[in-house]
Amino acid sequence: MSTDPHRPRHDSRTSEGLTSVDKDWAELRTLLLAPEQTQLDELRDRLDNRAVQPRDISHVLPEAFAMRGERDQQLSSVLTPYVENGFVAAVRKSPRAIVDAIAPIMGPAIRQAIARALQSMTESFNHSLDESLSLRGLQWRLEAWRTGRPFAEVVLLHRLQYRVDQVFLIHRETGLLLHHVAAEKVVVQDQQVLSGMLTAIQQYVRESFGAAQDQTLNQFQVGDWTVWIEQGSQAYLACVIRGTPPANLREEVHDVLDRIHAEYAEALGEFDGDPAPFQGLHSHLEDCVQAQYESPQPPSALKLWILGGAVLLAALWWAWTSYQAHARWSHLLTQLKAEPGLVVTNERSRWGDYRLEGLRDPLAKDPLELIREAGIDPSTVTTLWAPFYALDPPLIVTRAHSVLQPPRTVQLHLDGGTLVATGSAPIEWAKETRRMATLLPGITQYRDEDLLTVSISDLLTRINRTVIHFTPGSASIDPSEQLELNAVAVMVRDLAQAVSQSGQRVRLEILGSTDETGSIALNVQLSKQRAEAVLAVLRSEHLGLVPTITIRNADQRIVTLHASIEPLDQEPAIVRP
Amino acid sequence: MMQKKICMLGGFAVGKTSLVRRFVTNVFSDHYQTTIGVTVEKKCVTVDNRELTLILWDLYGEDEFQHVRESYLRGSSGYILVMDGTRRATLDTALVLQQTVVKAVGAVPFVSIINKSDLRSDWEIDEAAIEQLRERGWTVLIGSAKLGQGVEELFGRLATQMMSPSPPPGMCP
Repeated sequence: MSTDPHRPRHDSRTSEGLTSVDKDWAELRTLLLAPEQTQLDELRDRLDNRAVQPRDISHVLPEAFAMRGERDQQLSSVLTPYVENGFVAAVRKSPRAIVDAIAPIMGPAIRQAIARALQSMTESFNHSLDESLSLRGLQWRLEAWRTGRPFAEVVLLHRLQYRVDQVFLIHRETGLLLHHVAAEKVVVQDQQVLSGMLTAIQQYVRESFGAAQDQTLNQFQVGDWTVWIEQGSQAYLACVIRGTPPANLREEVHDVLDRIHAEYAEALGEFDGDPAPFQGLHSHLEDCVQAQYESPQPPSALKLWILGGAVLLAALWWAWTSYQAHARWSHLLTQLKAEPGLVVTNERSRWGDYRLEGLRDPLAKDPLELIREAGIDPSTVTTLWAPFYALDPPLIVTRAHSVLQPPRTVQLHLDGGTLVATGSAPIEWAKETRRMATLLPGITQYRDEDLLTVSISDLLTRINRTVIHFTPGSASIDPSEQLELNAVAVMVRDLAQAVSQSGQRVRLEILGSTDETGSIALNVQLSKQRAEAVLAVLRSEHLGLVPTITIRNADQRIVTLHASIEPLDQEPAIVRP
Repeated sequence: MMQKKICMLGGFAVGKTSLVRRFVTNVFSDHYQTTIGVTVEKKCVTVDNRELTLILWDLYGEDEFQHVRESYLRGSSGYILVMDGTRRATLDTALVLQQTVVKAVGAVPFVSIINKSDLRSDWEIDEAAIEQLRERGWTVLIGSAKLGQGVEELFGRLATQMMSPSPPPGMCP
């Protein structure tokens, strides 16, 4: 300040060392130059503190990023590890926030993927179902079995009109692969080598035919496959197609190639072997991966009628056989319920498989007979019978016959709970029956007041007292003698039955004789004829006794009887003169 | 992954395919070589911690009946010249082929190898001839496809040269 030429000079000074002129001058200068002074101070401060302040950088950081990012990729390379680390740290620290952030993106993507998978599965299932019953379907099923491929896949292949299996984007100059996509489940060989071979083949064909540079191999076929080659200025597309593709697909492929050339012109021009810049065109190539399947033929009306008729007939047949089986089973159950001595406690009928459980009296009718009578194969019926005593009247009577062994001359019947015996029987049997009858189940009382009882000794006496008289020279039984002989026959029968219960039998000797007139030979013959006539009336062979005919010289025209009892095991001494 | 197309060149029956077989796993039949004059194979190598896919175009041997198709050379980032040590003529063929490649694709890295070192006693190519090649700026290796000698080095050196930003030593002046 002391060097300022424009400053007025003053010699008077204050106690602080400044004159009043100086003070005025300073005040004036402050009034005139205060804004410039402030700026000057700030500039001096910046010069004194050359370190870059964060506040300063914050003003220019976004623009700086943008400018450097346009120039090269170095900024991305430098920041990538820090961004990655930061992201990992953020995921670890608060995963929930990350989930919330990406959920709006991932949700629709996952839903779309699931929907596509379901749609694909449904189409595959529908195709399989449509063809599963036809003759063609059977042939395809055989093919699937033979080749080991899933049936649905075989159906799809046969229904395939065309499908773009693979798409290669290949650099035209080097033959190097830029990008490749393939349809699902397509077996892919080494794409890079294949790209080279495709390029070599094109060049070979072009040179072999002397074609110009712009004349190229556009298509070739191998078996079921067609390879389309769509040439561009820098790259070409090779589409491996199964089946017969439509013509408009070629235009679509051409459009895709044009778009790629337009969007990736710079990357194609500077291609040095690095395919990384072409990862972004995946969706372009996926546009070319198309497929079309033959729509299933609607079944004709005739086929529907035949199929419907067959189904109806089958249903009717099934209903009829089911009804019949049910009717047979119901009839059997009715029969079983009505049959004395059989009680069905549980039964089951299921698709031709039957089961019966219940109680069966040993004296009841065999259930298998009833099953056969009902028209059911016994082998299809499982039976489980528990034994019991039935109190049905017929079975009580049957059981009484079985246990009491009454003679044939005795009739047994049931009157309520009372067993009633009628007819005639040896007194010994009658006594034993009175003791045992009420012990049988279902019999509370026994009555035999109408039963005629005889003893064996009485019968023997009465039989041995019999004398049959004949007229002279005749062997015919007189009607007057016939009545007595009939009564004797009843007695012989009763005797035979009475002794049979004690393990014995009756020996009956029939003694024939004549008077003494006539020749001896004639008399012997007549005696024999008279004894045989009596024997014929007695019909002793039906009584289980042992008859003996004896000729006796008694000088009487009679036949007498002599009955005796012998053990059953004794050898019968049959004497037939 | 970075890809580079390289060509295998050489006279008839010098052992190009045998060298490739030693180096890669076969995918296509050799039949293609006799029908269209080339078979393409692939091998992944690592150069300075960077992975590189070599797409090998194994060309049919040059002889009086069949010449290398120049179209096959286009786009090559490098090539390998193979000679048969037991036949001097294959060196002359290699010289011609090298000129052909330069004409077709320009000065790109290449490495040459004199094959059949296992038959060294029968060699017609002597040290002087090899020295002359080296004086021309060629990288000349000696190896044997039969024994596997020099095969890895052959492809490794070419890969290194192709990935090197500076002018490769094997480049044609």
